[in-house]
Amino acid sequence: MNARPLLEVRDLRVDFALEDRTVEAVRGVSFEVAEGETVAIVGESGSGKSVTALALTRLLPVPPARFTGGSIRFQGEDVLAMNAAALRRLRGGKIAYIFQEPSTSLNPVFTVHSQIAEAIRLHRPDVTDVGAEVARWLDAVGIVDAAKRMHDYPHQLSGGMQQRVMIAMALACQPDVLVADEPTTALDVTIQAQIMDLLASLKERFGMAVILITHNFGIVSGFAGRVLVMYRGKIVEQGPTGEVLSCPQHAYTRALIECIPKLGSKEPRLKTIDHAALAEGA
Amino acid sequence: MLSPLARSRFRKFRSIKRAWYSLLILSALFVVSLFSEHVANDRPLLLGYDGRLYFPTLKFYSGETFGGRYKTAADYRGLRDDPGFRDRGGWMLLPPIPHSPLHPYLDASGTPPHPPSARHWLGTDSAARDVLARLLYGFRICMVFSLSLTVIGTVFGIVIGGIQGYLGGRVDIVIQRLIEIWSALPFLYVVILMGSIYGQTFGVLLFVMAIFQWIGLSYYMRGEFYRLREQPYVLASRAMGAGTTRILFRQILPNAMTPVITLLPFMVLAGITSLTALDFLGFGLQPPTPSWGEMIQQGLNNLQAPWIAMSAIGALFITLMLATFVGEGVRDAFDPKSHTLLK
Repeated sequence: MNARPLLEVRDLRVDFALEDRTVEAVRGVSFEVAEGETVAIVGESGSGKSVTALALTRLLPVPPARFTGGSIRFQGEDVLAMNAAALRRLRGGKIAYIFQEPSTSLNPVFTVHSQIAEAIRLHRPDVTDVGAEVARWLDAVGIVDAAKRMHDYPHQLSGGMQQRVMIAMALACQPDVLVADEPTTALDVTIQAQIMDLLASLKERFGMAVILITHNFGIVSGFAGRVLVMYRGKIVEQGPTGEVLSCPQHAYTRALIECIPKLGSKEPRLKTIDHAALAEGA
Repeated sequence: MLSPLARSRFRKFRSIKRAWYSLLILSALFVVSLFSEHVANDRPLLLGYDGRLYFPTLKFYSGETFGGRYKTAADYRGLRDDPGFRDRGGWMLLPPIPHSPLHPYLDASGTPPHPPSARHWLGTDSAARDVLARLLYGFRICMVFSLSLTVIGTVFGIVIGGIQGYLGGRVDIVIQRLIEIWSALPFLYVVILMGSIYGQTFGVLLFVMAIFQWIGLSYYMRGEFYRLREQPYVLASRAMGAGTTRILFRQILPNAMTPVITLLPFMVLAGITSLTALDFLGFGLQPPTPSWGEMIQQGLNNLQAPWIAMSAIGALFITLMLATFVGEGVRDAFDPKSHTLLK
C-alpha cells in the first residue's frame, strides 16, 4: 500500500450563497480514499453527499457554490488550486463520474459510439483505433453485439443499457477513481442488482477506486469495504461496512438502517427518520 | 451522418410537395442567376474570328483583336453588323438574353421605356435598359445579400444568445438590457446615416442590416441555452472534462438547432424585402446597380409603362411566395405533433 492516499479530503466546507441566506451544504468533511478502495457515502437527500462528490473535481457552479475551507488533494495535488486545463485533465481522466439518470445524462442527438469516442479522444489521444476501443469497452460492460449497438442513439436503448453505456464512457478514459452518484436510483430493482454486480466485477478487473454515493444501505453491504454516513453536511459515522451495519453508533445511522424494508417484517408501516428527535440527541 | 430524426424531418419536408418543389425552383433560379454573365450579356458566349475561338464572357478582348482601331473593349454589338468582321469568317454565339443590364439602347426607335418586343421580352426601363436582364441581375444581388445577411445574423444570434443563456446571471441581464437599447435604435435613420457617411455600397448595407438582424434569433437561442444547460448530459460532459466551448457547440448547440432552422427561410425572406424596400426608397444600392426596389420605383414614376412595375413586382411576388412555401414546409417538418401517430 502507498503511504499517501490517492484522494485526501480535509475539513471540506462548501456554502451555497442564495439570495437571502447562505446554505452550508458541507460542513467540515474529511475522508481518504486509497488506491483500489471502495468507499460508500450514505445519507438522505440534502445530507451533502452529492455536493461532496461534485466538489471532488470542482463541478459545482461557482457562484452560488463557494469553497469556504478545507482542502482536496488528489495524488498530492491541490484540486482547489488547479487551473482550468489541469481540472479538465482531472475530470474524466483521473476521476470519472456516473450519474443517477442515464436517460438524460447521454446527449440525445449523438450516437453512443460518438459520445464514448469523444471521451476517449479527450483523455487518451494516443489511441489510434478509437472505434475498436469503443467496442471493447461496450463489450466490457456487458452490451451484447457491441459493434452493432454502438451506432444506436440513447433513446433506442433501455435504462439499464444506458447506464451500462455511461459506465463504459466513464471507464474508457481509464480513471483512477470512479464516482458513482446514485447509479441505480433511476433503475428498477432487478436492473439495480445487475448494475451493482457489473460495477463490482469491473472494479475487480480494472482495480480503480470507487466512491459510491447512495441513500440506500441495502446496496452498500455487499459492495463497499468502508462506509461514511453523512447527515446535515457532516460525517457522523465511518468505519468498515460490516461494523457500521451490525452495530451502528450514531442515532442517525440506526435510523437510516431501520429504513431498509425487511422481508417478513411485522411492522405495519415503513420506518421514517424523526429529525426532531435526532436534533435533540445531537 | 444524419441522425434518424433529421432524416425523418427531411423525408417529411420532401413529402410536402409544395415546399420541396419551391425549394428546387428557388435553388435552380439562384444557381442560374449566379451565372448571369453567361445568361444575360451583350457579349457573346463564343466568338469565331479568323479561324480562332474566343470567349468574350470569360475574358477581356480589345477592339484591335477583331480588326478594330482601339485597344479599348471590343464593341460586340457593333461587330454583329460589321461587314468587315463577317468577311474574315467572324461569327458569334449570343447568350439566351443578349443584353447587358447596364447598356442603354438609346438607338432604338421611339422614346424609352420601350414596351415588350421580340428583342426585349419584358421591354426596357426609362433609361432604355433591358428589363429582363436587370431582373436577373437584381435577383442575384437580392439573394446573395439576403443569404449573407441570414448567415451573419444566424451566427451572431447563436453566439450572443448562447452566451447569455449559458452564462446567465449578471452577464445575461447586462447583455439583455444592451440589446433592448440597441433594438430601439431607428433602423432607417441608421441606414441613411451610415449610407451618407460611408457610401451606399453592398458592404455597408450588409453591415448595417446585419447589426440588427441577429436580435430576433438571439432571443430564441437564449431561451434554448437556458433550458438545455440544466440538462444532466451537460453536467455529465463537464464531468468528462469538456471545456466551455466544447459544451456550448458540441453538446448544447446541436440540441438547440430547431429555432435556427425554422427561422432560416423567414430570415431570407426578410432580407429580400428589406433590401427591396431600401432600394425603393433610394437608401439602398446606388444606381445603376440592377435592383428590384429601384425598378419598382421606376415603375411608379412611369405608370404609362406598366411592364416595368409588373415585372419587378411579379418577380418579387414569386420569389417571396416560393421562400414562404419553403419556410412553411420546414416548420411543418419540424413540428413534433405531426410525428406522433398512434399505430
